[in-house]
Amino acid sequence: MTKQQKILIIGIAGGLAQMTARLILTEHPDWEILGIDSRDVSNVSRIKGLSALNIKYSRGNFENLFRTHDFDVVYHLGRISHSSNEQNVLAKRIDLSVMGTNRILDLCERSGVKKVIILSTFHVYGALPDNSIFLNEDAPLRASIRHPELRDVIEMDQMCTSWMWKNQKNVSTVVLRPCNIIGTQIQNAMTRFLSGPIALRPIDYNPFFQFIHEFDMAHILYKSLDSIPTGTYNIAGDDFISLREALEIVGTKGIPFPMILAGGLNEVLKKLSINVPDYLIDYLKFSCLISNNELKKHLGPNFLRFSIQEALELIKLR
Amino acid sequence: MFNLNNLLLSSEDDQKITEIFQYLREKYRDYKDPWGFNLNLCEKAVRKLLPLYRSYFKVRVFGAENVEDKAYIIVSNHSGQVPIDGMLITIAFLMDVTPPRVLRAMIERFMAQLPFLGDLTAQTGSILGDRANCSYLIERGESILVFPEGVRGISKSTPDFYKLRHFSEGFYRIALQKKTSILPVCVIGAEEMFPFVFHSKKLAGLLNVPSLPMTANFVPLPSPIDIYIGKEISIPEHLEKEAFDKEIKENIFHIENTVKRMIIKGLKNRRPFFDPIRKPISKFVIKEFRTKASHD
Repeated sequence: MTKQQKILIIGIAGGLAQMTARLILTEHPDWEILGIDSRDVSNVSRIKGLSALNIKYSRGNFENLFRTHDFDVVYHLGRISHSSNEQNVLAKRIDLSVMGTNRILDLCERSGVKKVIILSTFHVYGALPDNSIFLNEDAPLRASIRHPELRDVIEMDQMCTSWMWKNQKNVSTVVLRPCNIIGTQIQNAMTRFLSGPIALRPIDYNPFFQFIHEFDMAHILYKSLDSIPTGTYNIAGDDFISLREALEIVGTKGIPFPMILAGGLNEVLKKLSINVPDYLIDYLKFSCLISNNELKKHLGPNFLRFSIQEALELIKLR
Repeated sequence: MFNLNNLLLSSEDDQKITEIFQYLREKYRDYKDPWGFNLNLCEKAVRKLLPLYRSYFKVRVFGAENVEDKAYIIVSNHSGQVPIDGMLITIAFLMDVTPPRVLRAMIERFMAQLPFLGDLTAQTGSILGDRANCSYLIERGESILVFPEGVRGISKSTPDFYKLRHFSEGFYRIALQKKTSILPVCVIGAEEMFPFVFHSKKLAGLLNVPSLPMTANFVPLPSPIDIYIGKEISIPEHLEKEAFDKEIKENIFHIENTVKRMIIKGLKNRRPFFDPIRKPISKFVIKEFRTKASHD
């Protein structure tokens, strides 16, 4: 893409969105980025070319936004985190992540956006005991079999994918399903789990994990602009690591714990208002490794800067 | 007569294990297994189990010369109320076959989710019985151990000992897709390790386990084990990957019959143990197979 572009980034208050914006503007200083978020945007870096707007995610506000700006590219990184178990948050998640995304995609089509990049997650596959090794993008999305509270994550992914194929002639859409993104600027359940002072270390299971550093993820989001064509892509490196090794590298003190009791412990924690997502317990028992073969076709074999070990070492800086 | 002093690793075997695992460490030097296969743990396990293999079960391996240095799908009968046969075949392919290899045994979904056991079986080389997993390993030159009878093979009542259940077709589909040869194997002696008492299907259902046969003993009886390795069966060139079920059924039936014949031969050739039960069963199985063969 050589022509000057106008880009909308939804969810600019997040660390990953800001890194992506910074990368784009470093490579293309003349491009223009508008970042929006329903969260406070006062912490968004002041970079030339990036403006941040705090708006409520509503149909009217989005319509107004698309009416007043002529966006070429839309980054949808604003999915509400699925790491809360609370029922009222779930209702809000469905409303915003599914209904909201539907409206945004509709506006993208109507206003002639050329590229839409959507951040989904590998959690759509679910951590199940009968998962094949290295799930490809065609694997069924089974997370909600054990955790119905994740249905918004799956519904959003499926809705984006079907919209993508329906509108492929007019809009190039990329749906990304990254593995665990970790880093100092990112706030997700896995980063919190690994970088806390202590963590549960299962004694009866030792699943494998894939991690990607936030910088690498931001780089792939940037590369999605012109190097990745329409499609759904798993994002992970070639390597994987067991949970016990990961905890050792990060230096987090692992408390040996039988996962067979984890469900009961989580119920107690919920009563104490300590939020540990139910689905995370499954990830501490069973592996969910994803294949990166599709992504490699477009980015080549060595598309990551940081290995898993390096990514884990770097979250110590948190 | 069984002697407890025999349950110590001989210096000869100790040396052999060291050499075999040196060879395997070299072979797997740059390989990281996504299921957690752990060569060090495997070596420790073999050191503990080999005396049982040699002196308790007195395992004899026939047909080791049929195994070439390539990937196979190893198809065996499943027997015994507790599936120790898989472990014995795996040790046989490590210790008594050249070049030694770690068989990747396909296990039930139920096993993979068990605390401790799921992790332990994965570390010793087992994998979840899934076509994608098998394809991944065959592409890397690994041999897979399959029990196509599934759970039906291990929950047999006494009159059904050594009666082969019909093979499921999954293993053949993988062989067809990867054009990998089948190596038929049969285990004789494992049925008598745990004499069958009762199979509570209701309790199995309540506990959500695939099978719950009750046996009289918790420790396997020292039934002498014979492992027969047959000649490889190649996948016919004309069969396409997406061949119809009826086209592959004939080939699966051929493999099933090969294993049956090996069982008959093995039963005739076995060593004395637990004769009051063994002899009538052997006679019954041989008679039944002959009757069936004459009908076919």
